Amino acid sequence: MSTTVTQDMSFLHLITSASVLVQLVMLILILISLSSWWFIFRKLFVIRYEIKKTDDFEDIFWRGVDLNALHQRIISSRYESGSLERIFAAGFGEFTKHPAGSDLDAVMESTRRAMRATYQREMDYLESHLSFLATVGSVSPYIGLFGTVWGIMNSFRSLSSVTQATIAHVAPGIAEALIATAMGLFAAIPAVVAYNRYASRTDQLATRFESFMEELSNVLQRRAAE
Amino acid sequence: MSSSVPRNSPHSEPRSLLAGVLAVLVHLLFIALLVFGVSWKDHPPEGMMVDIWTELPKPVQEPVKTQAPPKQPKPVPEPVKPEPEPPKPEPIKPEPPKPEPPKPEPPKPEPVKPAPPKAAATPPVKKPDIAMKEKPEPVKENKPDLEEQKKKEQEKIKEQEKQKELEKKKELEKKKELEKQKELEKQKELEKQQEIAKQKEAEKQKALEKQKELQKQKEKELAAQRQREQEAKAQREAEAQRAAQQAAARNQVTSEIGKYKALILAKIRSRIVMPPDLPGNPVAEFSVTLLPGGDILDVRLSKSSGHAAFDSAVERAIFLSKPLPLPPDPTLFNEFRNLNITVHYRE
Repeated sequence: MSTTVTQDMSFLHLITSASVLVQLVMLILILISLSSWWFIFRKLFVIRYEIKKTDDFEDIFWRGVDLNALHQRIISSRYESGSLERIFAAGFGEFTKHPAGSDLDAVMESTRRAMRATYQREMDYLESHLSFLATVGSVSPYIGLFGTVWGIMNSFRSLSSVTQATIAHVAPGIAEALIATAMGLFAAIPAVVAYNRYASRTDQLATRFESFMEELSNVLQRRAAE
Repeated sequence: MSSSVPRNSPHSEPRSLLAGVLAVLVHLLFIALLVFGVSWKDHPPEGMMVDIWTELPKPVQEPVKTQAPPKQPKPVPEPVKPEPEPPKPEPIKPEPPKPEPPKPEPPKPEPVKPAPPKAAATPPVKKPDIAMKEKPEPVKENKPDLEEQKKKEQEKIKEQEKQKELEKKKELEKKKELEKQKELEKQKELEKQQEIAKQKEAEKQKALEKQKELQKQKEKELAAQRQREQEAKAQREAEAQRAAQQAAARNQVTSEIGKYKALILAKIRSRIVMPPDLPGNPVAEFSVTLLPGGDILDVRLSKSSGHAAFDSAVERAIFLSKPLPLPPDPTLFNEFRNLNITVHYRE
């Protein structure tokens, strides 16, 4: 009587008394959750930083600064530059490399290509690890579910040796197993939320970069025509 | 484009370490929540434990009860009435409702003596059941006025003596009645025994009669069986004859059915407006539902000939040829209720 009632149902005991496979699933889920949270915070910092840098650069650029000076400053402080600054540096550098008398169309074409290439690279960087978050969000519940199903299977199998089946025989096993699902959900929910949020943020940044590229090419074309 | 090569280096954010620390922090927070949450839920089961164990103290109370009985005799003495004539406990019952019969037996203690032990006994008595409490209460009432008690007791004793005399008389009367009753019962028993004996004899006779009847029945059954066998043989022969007759009848019937089917088909054929120049010999099959009297309820094309013109021509012909010729015997109509008609383009 007392043995069944006073069974240790604490969290740690539930984990340690689980079967090996369930423990393995839990370990995997903990690692996945840790890494997903790591990426969540990294992307949070990176995207915030990029948005701030983009705001600042657009502010400076449209205030009518000397483009050569701006380019020089970006080149010198390359390690503190944002994506949009790098796109500008690539485009402007390519534009200034051409001699003054060359064909305007060809110059603008190569400038656009340079900006496009940098833009692709920057977007690649901004969107890196987002797919990992998406994967965690969609897969970790299944991993947790697998652990749960396995644990419940085992706890029911242990019932076969008992003549009188009571809920007390099954309940601890099910509780152990359900922890795996809880872990999977704990890993998945923030990952999904973060993925959706970051994906929309990076899309916003991408449209801002693209429109800036168009506007910069207009500015440069006007400057070359003068 | 030269700047593009080291471009990936600016992406190595120093804050990734902070991100890792934050991630670990989040997990620690969550685990702490879980641990505290789950262990917090651990306590209610312990509360359950307490509830379960409260049942066990009951056996502890039982010993208290066992101690109580010795106290019971002490309070009982209050009715001192038994003192004069302790041997007859029965008559006392009506007068004092409270005391039980066994208690009056130890009436040794005088009315005064019981009081102090009662006082001593009362405190422990509080614990036991309500039944116990009820008894001590009257005791307390008696304590204050012992003189009155004595008077009352004397009066009671007198009353008791009177009553006892009355009761003795009653008992004598009762004994007489009982003797009479016993005699009556003995007579009844004798009568019953006689009746039983008679019944047994009757039953034996009946059993014998039954046996005889059974034997007779068996004989009758045997005779009946023989008769039946003979009858069965006769029946079989008759049946065989009948079967032969029926087969003949069936043959007649089938021949009649065939005849009428041929008649129906001939009537339908006569109404068909054949579409000209169909290749080969197409066959159209229709299932026709008939009503008694030869009317057509439903015509369904069960197998097309492959030529819609021929199918529709046949269908029209079926409708045109109603009423269809049916045998006059209404019992044969079942054979025609659902009729399958196959019409060949060429005969």
